[in-house]
Amino acid sequence: MLATGDKIKTSSGDKITIKEFIAEGGQGEVYKVDYNGREKALKWYKKSFLNNNSDPKAFYANIKHNVENGQPSKEFLWPLEITEWQDDTFGYIMDLRPSGYYDITEYMLCHIRFKSYRAIIDACLKIVSAFRILHSHGYSYQDLNDGNFFIDPIKGDVLICDNDNVAPDKVETGILGKPRYLAPEIVLGKVKPNMLTDRFSMAILLYILFCLNHPLEGKKYLADALTPALQEKLYGSEPLFIMDPNDKSNGPDSVAHKNSIMVWKCLPDYMKEIFINAFSQNSFKNPHNRPTELDWLKVLTRFRSEIIDCLCGNEVFTQNGNNCKCDCCGKMIKIPFKLELKSYAIPAVQNSRIYKCQLGTCDAKDALNPIAGVVSKKDSNILGIRNKTDRKWNAINSKGVPKKVDAGETIPLKDGITFTVDDMTIKIIENK
Amino acid sequence: MPTLDKLEETPRKELHVFYILDTSGSMIGTPIAELNHAMEECTEALKEVAKNNGDAKLKIAVMEFNSNCKWVTDHGPEPVEDFEWEYLEAGGLTSMGAALTELDSQLSRNKFLSSMTGAFMPVLIFMTDGIATDDYDRPLTEIRKNKWFKHGTKIGFAISDEADEKMIASVVGNSEAVIKTNNLALFKKLIRFVSVRASMLASSSRTTDKAADGGGIVSDAKKELDLPDDVTSSLPDSAYNKEPEATSKDDDWNDDEW
Repeated sequence: MLATGDKIKTSSGDKITIKEFIAEGGQGEVYKVDYNGREKALKWYKKSFLNNNSDPKAFYANIKHNVENGQPSKEFLWPLEITEWQDDTFGYIMDLRPSGYYDITEYMLCHIRFKSYRAIIDACLKIVSAFRILHSHGYSYQDLNDGNFFIDPIKGDVLICDNDNVAPDKVETGILGKPRYLAPEIVLGKVKPNMLTDRFSMAILLYILFCLNHPLEGKKYLADALTPALQEKLYGSEPLFIMDPNDKSNGPDSVAHKNSIMVWKCLPDYMKEIFINAFSQNSFKNPHNRPTELDWLKVLTRFRSEIIDCLCGNEVFTQNGNNCKCDCCGKMIKIPFKLELKSYAIPAVQNSRIYKCQLGTCDAKDALNPIAGVVSKKDSNILGIRNKTDRKWNAINSKGVPKKVDAGETIPLKDGITFTVDDMTIKIIENK
Repeated sequence: MPTLDKLEETPRKELHVFYILDTSGSMIGTPIAELNHAMEECTEALKEVAKNNGDAKLKIAVMEFNSNCKWVTDHGPEPVEDFEWEYLEAGGLTSMGAALTELDSQLSRNKFLSSMTGAFMPVLIFMTDGIATDDYDRPLTEIRKNKWFKHGTKIGFAISDEADEKMIASVVGNSEAVIKTNNLALFKKLIRFVSVRASMLASSSRTTDKAADGGGIVSDAKKELDLPDDVTSSLPDSAYNKEPEATSKDDDWNDDEW
């Protein structure tokens, strides 16, 4: 343990002064420190943790390498500076976690609740997008679990901490990950953590965020004794999705897994489908067949676009942009216009967005850029759709006349107007 | 969509931490006072672990043994967050055998380990400062057939020079999982350390295929707290009744023996 006032040197000779203890975990302690006149966080490893690592020097070198390469995206609370070795251990500096963020565990225990499904989807989108960027840099994270993600329950903003095991894909840092979040091939001792095992663990977290149940912990998990052999079966040799459509032997228990039962039946088919794929026997056995980050981004952005608010306050999931009934108050919700994309339509209501990744393949960093958004005219209820790209759109108005839509310009919602962004033509349709 | 406040907390398995504590006559005075204080602090530390644990719901069960044995938590294991340490008093003999028999009877899914979500393998922490005054060999043979006991994480403390190291090593089945010290301040630190570490086993990222056992936790404690080597027992296997390693055959999952 370090004490207030203790001084530590970074590898480049800067001074760190311990201000106060923040928290303790399995691997080390976190302190608030003064680093060059600014408040930062210091993660300081336990000696026993480093001692159990097969190659602590390589572990140090990997973090140093990550410091030098810089953070892949703003979601990662990335190591900013590494300390010297001191008394057989060391630590690294990162930004302090701002207030208003809570780890996934707190959501699982209902200490904190998301304000809306949109916030859940936004959190999922940010996690997936961050991993797409991380993987596109050639890194794997290697230890995804409920304690490493901090989320704002209102906005769905995400911070990812514990980036000390992030390493070039297939480079071992000595970590295997946390039980319950490991890919089956790690549980079975076949491989060490890599990008494809990251993908599996990420899918577990996404299911948890929506359903507050673990996707592999159905009836079989409720066995009286969770022995090492049972753990190996549940998460390694015989994993089975709680919502597997063909094999119900690990299905939800009507009391213990009420959450899954309630949420699952309301999820749109394409969300069910991607979870079923992510936790299919095919994906357990063939890591290459797991849904990619882009697959997740496509369905999550679609899901986000299809949720609208009923006047009663309930979030309603719409299908294909059509008028629908609120499943809470029972009233019909009229959706005046919808936007028809290539394979589905979304409601065109205030704040509806189309994301770059809904148009097709795109760069990791651009995936969540809105390319179009529904806005209302100042002081009125009249809606239009704004060009949020930096390029002109080719549009055809309701009378069939071609027009150019400048960046930032808004076109009215009128039946029959089409506009083309990248290679996709989007049509405005009035719901009759 | 179901409104979000209808969702309930994610089901978790229970993790039981058992303390089987010697409160015989030799503990009268400072030792029992130190034990009470140590356990009070230990409980506080476990509350911290329990507060934000998405993997396990921590429960605590305490048995004291002297001329007899008695559950302090007499209604069964209590959720750590509701648990308050009750001060124990010392007096009487050291009925280790009776304690093992009673523990054996409660380590069952129909008794102390009954739960809707099921349970992790328990953590079993034993402490003695003396020599068993009853026969513990036969009760030990019996309890070793209990699968919860067999697979549990067992750690022992011998906290005086008079404590029977062989007895405690036999009870926990592994001399490497025994800490011996007559320094009660150190005992306080160590019981806190091993309790916290053992109860976090299920929820920590791993570096190896297997979770640490009692011996591994004690070895971590030595490294972490810079302890001298002789703080752990180093009895050769032949000097005590070592527990054979559990085999995978021992843990069928639909077995009435649980």
